Amino acid sequence: MATVTLKGATRFYAGQHTPAVDALDLEVADGEFLVLVGPSGCGKSTTLRMVAGLEGVDEGGIAIGDRDVTDLPPKDRDIAMVFQNYALYPHMTVRENIGFHLRIRREPKALIAERTAEAAQLLDLTEVLDRKPAQLSGGQRQRVAMGRAIVRRPQVFLLDEPLSNLDAKLRVQTRTQIAALQREFAVTTLYVTHDQVEAMTMGDRVAVMNGGVLQQCATPPEIFARPVNLFVASFIGSPAINLLNASAADDTVRGPGFELRLTRAQASSLTGTDVVVGLRPEAWTVGEPGTGVDATIEVVEELGSDQYIYCSTVGGADDPIAVDPSLGMPAADTGLPRPLTVRTQGMAPYARGQRVGLRPDSASAHLFDANTGLRLED
Amino acid sequence: MTAQTPARRAPRRPKPPPGSRRYGPVRIVGMAVVWLFTAFNLLLLYWLVAASFKTPIEIFQQPFGLPLHWFQLGNPMRNYLYAWNEAGFGHAFVVTVLLVGAAAVSVVAVGAPAAYALSRLGVRGHGPLTSFFAIGMGVPFQTVIIPLFVAFSKIDLTNSLFGLYLLYVALSLPFTVFLLTGFFRSLPTELEEQAAIDGASPVRTFVRVMLPLAQGGLVTALIINAIGLWNETLLAIVFLQENAKFTLSRALFTFYGAAQYQSEYGGLIAGVAIVVLPMLVMYIVLARRIIGGLTLGAGK
Repeated sequence: MATVTLKGATRFYAGQHTPAVDALDLEVADGEFLVLVGPSGCGKSTTLRMVAGLEGVDEGGIAIGDRDVTDLPPKDRDIAMVFQNYALYPHMTVRENIGFHLRIRREPKALIAERTAEAAQLLDLTEVLDRKPAQLSGGQRQRVAMGRAIVRRPQVFLLDEPLSNLDAKLRVQTRTQIAALQREFAVTTLYVTHDQVEAMTMGDRVAVMNGGVLQQCATPPEIFARPVNLFVASFIGSPAINLLNASAADDTVRGPGFELRLTRAQASSLTGTDVVVGLRPEAWTVGEPGTGVDATIEVVEELGSDQYIYCSTVGGADDPIAVDPSLGMPAADTGLPRPLTVRTQGMAPYARGQRVGLRPDSASAHLFDANTGLRLED
Repeated sequence: MTAQTPARRAPRRPKPPPGSRRYGPVRIVGMAVVWLFTAFNLLLLYWLVAASFKTPIEIFQQPFGLPLHWFQLGNPMRNYLYAWNEAGFGHAFVVTVLLVGAAAVSVVAVGAPAAYALSRLGVRGHGPLTSFFAIGMGVPFQTVIIPLFVAFSKIDLTNSLFGLYLLYVALSLPFTVFLLTGFFRSLPTELEEQAAIDGASPVRTFVRVMLPLAQGGLVTALIINAIGLWNETLLAIVFLQENAKFTLSRALFTFYGAAQYQSEYGGLIAGVAIVVLPMLVMYIVLARRIIGGLTLGAGK
């Protein structure tokens, strides 16, 4: 059992002057399940590979427990890793795959057999121990990869998108299974994913990365309720948050159909007059046209338990302007209708083309400084 | 009363996708060329096998007829026995099997680690070194035979099977390294990383993880080299002078010179068959493997 500490860890790739991971400070507590999440190319996998020792650390350092492992080879770090494609040795049976590390460590045969059997039992692989990976289903292969990590009893588990090769249903099952295993073994775990649902459901804490920089590291409720900047706000949450432009005057933010008083702290931290208001799809009430923001329903997505309606807003002075979430900055005016996403009750009687009025719930609005993209803390 | 439902049967030939013509002009011409080529080669093969059982008179008077004379005399294998015993093919066969076997195995044993290091270990200067091997493939060995002979004679390695073995290994290395480099490159990197995390040393990773995965490529390299070296004639002619050291192709060359004067055409053709048929059989048995190995590493 150990903590994992990254201090200013930086990684450059050859020929690229922007680092793939930029001065990352991160502390994973003993036994914690930390999920690294972000869009592709954000540096999350590189971070994991740095902890594993598969990538060098150009600046800064990494410690596991009290040991500085920055320059240690992978085998001396006492970690186990599960790769996205599982990296099972195709010419070895499941039994040999699981026991390979122990054999290299020259553990006694009895111990290897015992540990392998134990892991197989736990992961429901006993029947297939003598098969080769090619004869297994995707889910079984995934479990073999997990088994290979478990038998080592390592200080740290590193999981690199271990569920992305599974079909949707199996992914949900395995998600729960992995989370349960981690709780059972209480091994410090770093888990990389691009899937925010995995991140929010599995992790004790979630670290959101973008462009090699850590954006926010907090518990799932905290991340959802108090995103520190526009990027986190737009990345976490499905469907994505609606971001509207508004302006502040006399400590009051006025937007389409709402007015918000700024607290003193918010007013003092605001650098200009432009504010971006974030309103999640569930923060709206649908009413008659004329109340709140006038909108026309373009698409209705019925999920049964919920319904999402995608609305275009009518142009005009109080037209809400959605901002480009990938940059976290206001998008150029393209002249296209700007969609607002609203969650309503499942089986609600809305139809395409219907005109509605959308009233935002101003209490659940997130306020961001449009210049810096940072949250205005109240 | 139960209704008899006829068992469903798949059509013998699944329907082709709409728009694809089974007998387009390209296809007809292509088929004709392929079949002509195949027929020509089969005829040649038939002629070779048939002639190897004939008397010289039969060979010239009924070139495409079935062999009769030696069968009537109850000595059908006469030509083969003659070639094997009188022309020294028996001895040459043993020499060739040993020499070619040793050389082919050595080439792969040296080439595989070299290719692995060049393609996977990030060795300093692996790019230029790989090109260096590729250049070796571009140099026809015929052009360096004379300097090679001079050099080898200085160190007393001419007229020596060991010398020829060294030459075979050295001259086969470029192609083998090139073939295996592509092969190793196509293997996934995660396996090496997993092996590193599992604590395997680079040597162990190579032997226990990468070599078994590269088995297909290694076998392909082995077979291609074996076939090439089995048929190799020029180096054997230049570097070997003693009958006792002759390889099959070298023995055939000598036999050809002698057989012309003795009209021993039956024996000569039997000798050709002894040289050609083992490789043909090997090719037929292993063809799928060879072609698979050659195209592996090309994709992905």
